[in-house]
Order: sequence, then C-alpha cells, then structure tokens
Amino acid sequence: MVDNPSPQPMDHPSTEHPSTDRPAQRSKSDRTFDANLPPLLSAQDLCKSFGGVRAVDHASLEVPQGSIIGLIGPNGAGKTTLFNLLSNFTRPDSGDVMFNGTPIHPLPSHQIAQLGLVRTFQVARVLSRLSVLDNMLLATQNQTGEALLNVWTRSRQIAKEERLQRRHALEILDSVGLSHMAHQYAGSLSGGQRKLLEMARALMVNPKLILLDEPAAGVNPTLINQICTHIQQWNREGMTFLIIEHNMDVIMSLCDRVWVMAEGRNLATGTPTEIQTNPAVLAAYLGQ
Amino acid sequence: MVNGMEGYIVSLIIFTAILAVFGLGLNLQWGFTGLINFGHVAFMTLGAYTTALLSSIDIPWLPLPLQILGAVILGATLAAALGLLIGFSTLRLREDYLAIVTIGVSEIVRLIALNEEWLTRGSFGIQRYPLPLGQFSPNLPTRLGMIAILLLVIGIAYCRLWQWMGQQLQPISRSQLVTSLVPIVGYLVSLAVLIVGIGLGARSLKAAANLPSWVLGLGLLSAIVGTSLLYAWLAKRFLLPLAARTTALSLVWVSILSLLGGWLTTIAAIALYHYDRSPTKNGLMWIAVLLVALIYQALQALVRSPWGRILKAIREDEFVARALGKNVFWYKLQAFMLGGFIAGIAGALYAWQLTVVYPDNFQPLLTFNAWTIVVLGGAGNNLGTILGAAIFWAYQSVTRFILSDIIPLDDARLGAFRVMMIGLLLMVLMVWRPQGILGNKEELTLGR
Ligand SMILES: Nc1ncnc2c1ncn2[C@@H]1O[C@H](COP(=O)(O)OP(=O)(O)OP(=O)(O)O)[C@@H](O)[C@H]1O
Ligand SMILES: [Mg+2]
Repeated sequence: MVDNPSPQPMDHPSTEHPSTDRPAQRSKSDRTFDANLPPLLSAQDLCKSFGGVRAVDHASLEVPQGSIIGLIGPNGAGKTTLFNLLSNFTRPDSGDVMFNGTPIHPLPSHQIAQLGLVRTFQVARVLSRLSVLDNMLLATQNQTGEALLNVWTRSRQIAKEERLQRRHALEILDSVGLSHMAHQYAGSLSGGQRKLLEMARALMVNPKLILLDEPAAGVNPTLINQICTHIQQWNREGMTFLIIEHNMDVIMSLCDRVWVMAEGRNLATGTPTEIQTNPAVLAAYLGQ
Repeated sequence: MVNGMEGYIVSLIIFTAILAVFGLGLNLQWGFTGLINFGHVAFMTLGAYTTALLSSIDIPWLPLPLQILGAVILGATLAAALGLLIGFSTLRLREDYLAIVTIGVSEIVRLIALNEEWLTRGSFGIQRYPLPLGQFSPNLPTRLGMIAILLLVIGIAYCRLWQWMGQQLQPISRSQLVTSLVPIVGYLVSLAVLIVGIGLGARSLKAAANLPSWVLGLGLLSAIVGTSLLYAWLAKRFLLPLAARTTALSLVWVSILSLLGGWLTTIAAIALYHYDRSPTKNGLMWIAVLLVALIYQALQALVRSPWGRILKAIREDEFVARALGKNVFWYKLQAFMLGGFIAGIAGALYAWQLTVVYPDNFQPLLTFNAWTIVVLGGAGNNLGTILGAAIFWAYQSVTRFILSDIIPLDDARLGAFRVMMIGLLLMVLMVWRPQGILGNKEELTLGR
C-alpha cells in the first residue's frame, strides 16, 4: 500500500493534465510570512472525546503569521472538531490554544472572534431572513449602534458608520460575485453562494486569521479559481488563513504548509509537495 | 346614549393601547429575538402592582405627577429586573428552558400577589391609588392642544399604514386589483349583513318562532360557511392570482380599519373636548395613545439599528452571531429585559384603567392574548402588533354583544367559547396567511 505511487485521493493535477479550472500556482515571492516570527496561532495537545469517540486526540497545530495553512485528512479525521476547539465552540477536554500571544481556550467564542480569529462553518450558515447585505453588516466589529442607548442618543454617528460599512460590504460582495444579490434574503441564495457569503462575511470582521472549513465544497470550478485568487490577494494584504479542504488542487496551489490529521491525531506536516509523497499520508487516505 | 357610547369607545381605545404596548414587549422578545416567553403577564403584574403601591404612598415633598411617573418607571424597572433574573438563569440554556421557566415564574408572581397580603392586600386588591391627570381640568386651549397632539400622532400612524399598503400594491396590476376587489367586498358585505342581521334579529326571531338559540347559531354558522364557499368558488372561477386576491383583501381590511380608526379618532377627540365628563378616562386615553406612539418610535429606531440586527441574527442562528463576535447571551438578556420593561409600562396603564388591582386581573390568559396579537399582526413587525391589538379588541367587543344572543351559554362559558374561537381563527390564519397580517410571506418560505 505504502509504495503505491499515485493513490486516488491525493490525485493532484500533475503536469500531464493541464486543466483550465485549476487555481493559479502561488508564486513563492507572494509569501508575506516570516518563519522566525512566533506563530499567530498555536494549539498544543488538544483533546476532545464524544462519549467513546476520540474525535481529537492530542492534536497540535501552528499557523505562522501571514501564511496560508492547509488542514487535510480523511472524513471523520477530526478537522471540523479541531476548528470547533480552536474557536471554542466546543470546549476542549485538555490542551491549550495561543492566539497572537494570548491563551484563548478559556475565552468564550465571541471574544475569540473579537480578538481576530473568525471561523466559518462546513455547512454554510446564513441568516435566512436577513438580506445578504445585512448578513455582511452584522459582521462589522465595534459598531456604535451595537449599544442599546447609543441607538437613541447617537443616531447621526451610527448612520455615518452604516454608510461607510455598507460601501465596504458591497466591495467585498462584489469580489465574490454576490453584489447583485445584496438586497435579496440570504435564505434565497444557493448552496455555493452561501459558502461565498460566509467567507465574505468572515472577511467583513477584518480579522487576523480566518478558519475556512471546506470553502470550495459545492462551488463550481471557475469560481473556485476565483476564490483562490481572492484568498491569495487577501493574504498578500496581511490576512492569515487556515483552510480545511478536500480539493487537493486548492491545497496545492494555496498552502505554504499542510497539516494532516487522521483519527484525531497529527499524522504529518510539511510543504504540499512533501505531504504528497509522504507514505504515511498516502496510507491514511487509502485506509490501509 | 352618546355619553355611554363615548365612554365605551374611550375605554376601548385604552384597552387597545394597553394590549398594544404589552404586545410590543413580547414582539421584541419573540418576534425579533426569538425568545419564547410564556409568562409575559408576570412583567405586567409587577408593573401594575408597583405603580399602584408606590403612587399611593404619601410623600409630601414630591408633587403627585412626579411621584406617579417615578412609580411607573420603578415598576417597569422592577419588571426588567425580573427579566434579568429569569434571563440570567435560563438564557444560556436551550430555548425551551426559558419557555418553561417563564410559565412557572408568572404563576409564582400571581400567587405572591394573592398570598402576600401585607404587601398586596391579596384578593381584596389595591384600591384608591392616584390616577394620572385624575385631578386635571384643562382649559380650552390646553384641550385643543391635547387634541392636536393626538391627531398628529394618529395622522403619522395613518401615513405609515398607507405607505406600507402602497408598497404592497405596487407589483399588482390595477385591473387585477379591481377584479379581485369586487368579490371580496361583496363577500364582506354579505358576511356583515348576515352577522348583523341575525345578531339584531336573533331576539325577535327566538321570540316569534320559539326557537332554541342553538338553531340560530347553527343557521348562522352554516350561512357563513356557505357564503364563504360561494365566494371562494367565484374567485376561482375568475382565476385571479392569489397575490392579487390577498393584496386586495389587505386593501379592504386596511380601508375598513382606516374608516373605523377615523371614526374612533373623532370620538376620542370629542371626548377630549368634553374632558370633564370623565377626566380620568379621557386623560388616561390620551396618555395611553401617546405612550404607544412613543414606544413604537423608540422600538422602530432600535430594530433598524445595528443593535436590532444582532437580535434578528440571534433569532435566525445564534451560532453565526457568536462566530462574528457578538455576545449572544448579553443581547438576549437586553432584549428580554427591555421587553419586560415595556410590559411593565403596560402594567401601569392596566392598573390605571382598572382603578382596582386584584391578582385575578393577571391570569395567564393575558399572555395568551399577547401571543395572539403578535402572531395576528405578524411576528417581528411593530406596526402589525399594534394593528393586531386593535383587531383583537374589535373581535372581543363585537363578539361580546352578538354571541350572547345566538349561543346558548352563560357568560363564563361564553368567555371560554370566545377564546376557543380565537384559537380556531388563529389556525385558519396559520393556514391561509401564516406570516400574520403585516408579515412578509417571502420570509416564511425561506429555508435555513
Ligand atoms: N457533536 C458531536 N457528537 C458526537 N460525535 C461527534 C461530534 N462532532 C464530531 N463527532 C465525531 O468526531 C469525529 C470527527 O468529526 P469531524 O466532523 O471533526 O470530522 P472531519 O474531519 O471534519 O470530517 P469531514 O472531512 O467529513 O468533514 C467523527 O467521528 C464524528 O462522528
Ligand atoms: Mg469537517
């Protein structure tokens, strides 16, 4: 098994099949991160069991500032659960998470988001009965109008902020191709559009790190391309990404480093090319 | 006769206003935030008792109007504090816990009011507390000023309602609208003739033919069902699109309500002009209408602000709100407390309308009424809630007179029967217009 040269799940587009749908290769000069800086996010020995299932079992992870990191693994490997632990949507049984120099595992999830770590969901969650634009505006941080009394006493200031944010939101929506839907109910979006809205909304928070859970799942190939270009562009502007993805093209073209999980544990880590040839990884994907 | 009518209309307006304020509180909690509160009456009880008790304490250095105002604010604040207590213990848990706890708390509050006689005088009730504007005897210019303010407020409300109607009408073509209007108007006229005719003739018919009243009731019911079916068939024959029919129906309703409202406003203005005929009631009516307008305005500003957007986000999916850095618990708590505060104000109005407060005035049925009103008007729609309150009271007063003539039940059972009818009407509404009168149909059909 281990010496099988080209396993199916890792079938990343080799040079024999040049596909037009494939995201553009990331040029090395784009990299904005410096490996010597302390990591933006580091998780140590995270554990989480559900009943008898050890969903995450002493998993660790590091995300350097300014990088795009991939997180892969077979179905049920515990990737989504790890995201839940990082954002404290699920409380870890043990282990700790440092973000930007602060331990965040004791913090409630909304405070983690306020610190600049925003996650998206594997099954896109949109606010159906709010407009797409309102979905975006909700994500804005530190709005004057979020405090009850300000609504009555500082309405002028609020209106001004809203105008600015509205313009900003429309720009982001435009970049993911949703600006024509801005005034529709978010519930009327298609599955793929919802994923896009989720990503755009996370961006609207203006965070330091975005955790994307399968951003390309259910999105058409041309759009995947477009999204990858945008992720690279946002990355150049200083945003850091941690991406769970089953689509190997995306991982290969975007990521500086890849972490592989299997059965809740760290299996391997390395550059995309190293991972591709790692026998343990291939074995895990083939299920031995 | 005119005086009796005037007095009746004035108290009708007061009751509608009380229910509107009460419903607005629930609408903030449930309609906007999605918090299930089955004990809304508890907040009202607290507001009513606090207002009555505090305003009857003798404080020589404090002018009475200020004391009453202070009592209301304190009452509402206490109601909000009750909200804090309930919310703090349950809002972190799953939503059904809140529903269960609120039911329990509202019964506890009522039982405390019944049993802690040193404070509430138990079932004797609290009597002879001062009423706002009770000793007020305004001169002509003041009265005219009061009337002008009232008319202004109602005028603005009319503008809002017709603006809304205009928006609804836009997508419908004129010819479709007209052809839809004909059967609907015809239907309503026949219904009105049937109900009023049988209602008025019931006594003489009974006397003349010596009929038991259930025969009449059954006759009326089958006549109503028959005409309904006839017109439904007619509408189908004309193949009118559903949207046109529904909008035409709303147009008819809004027109009828506007006419009725205009008539009520006229009577209210006349009542204010003859202020001294019944100073407490007239003054209370004025205050109540202004309070509805004020609270409505304040709430509209809130729900359209970023603050309101967070509440709606929590209603839709609180995980999203959390993931975007919103303190869900804190916002739920705020909404719950503010809703309680508003219900506390409704309690003060209720105490003034009753002039004596007994624990029995605060039955769980009031919570049910608030829910009816919010569902009727359309959850998450403040104007709809006010409209719902008006329709609810119209229903209550119309059925009070007509039902007793055609249904062979004593008063207590008749009351229960009316509640049952509301349940039935709500079921019909849920099938035919689940979003409520002013709600947005599109919103309901959206998936997660
Ligand atoms: N809330 C939960 N309760 C019980 N078991 C859970 C829960 N969440 C996850 N699990 C279990 O944890 C394991 C890891 O699930 P997780 O969703 O993290 O996988 P994943 O790596 O994201 O897989 P996929 O690639 O299919 O999304 C699975 O076996 C799953 O059944
Ligand atoms: Mg997953």
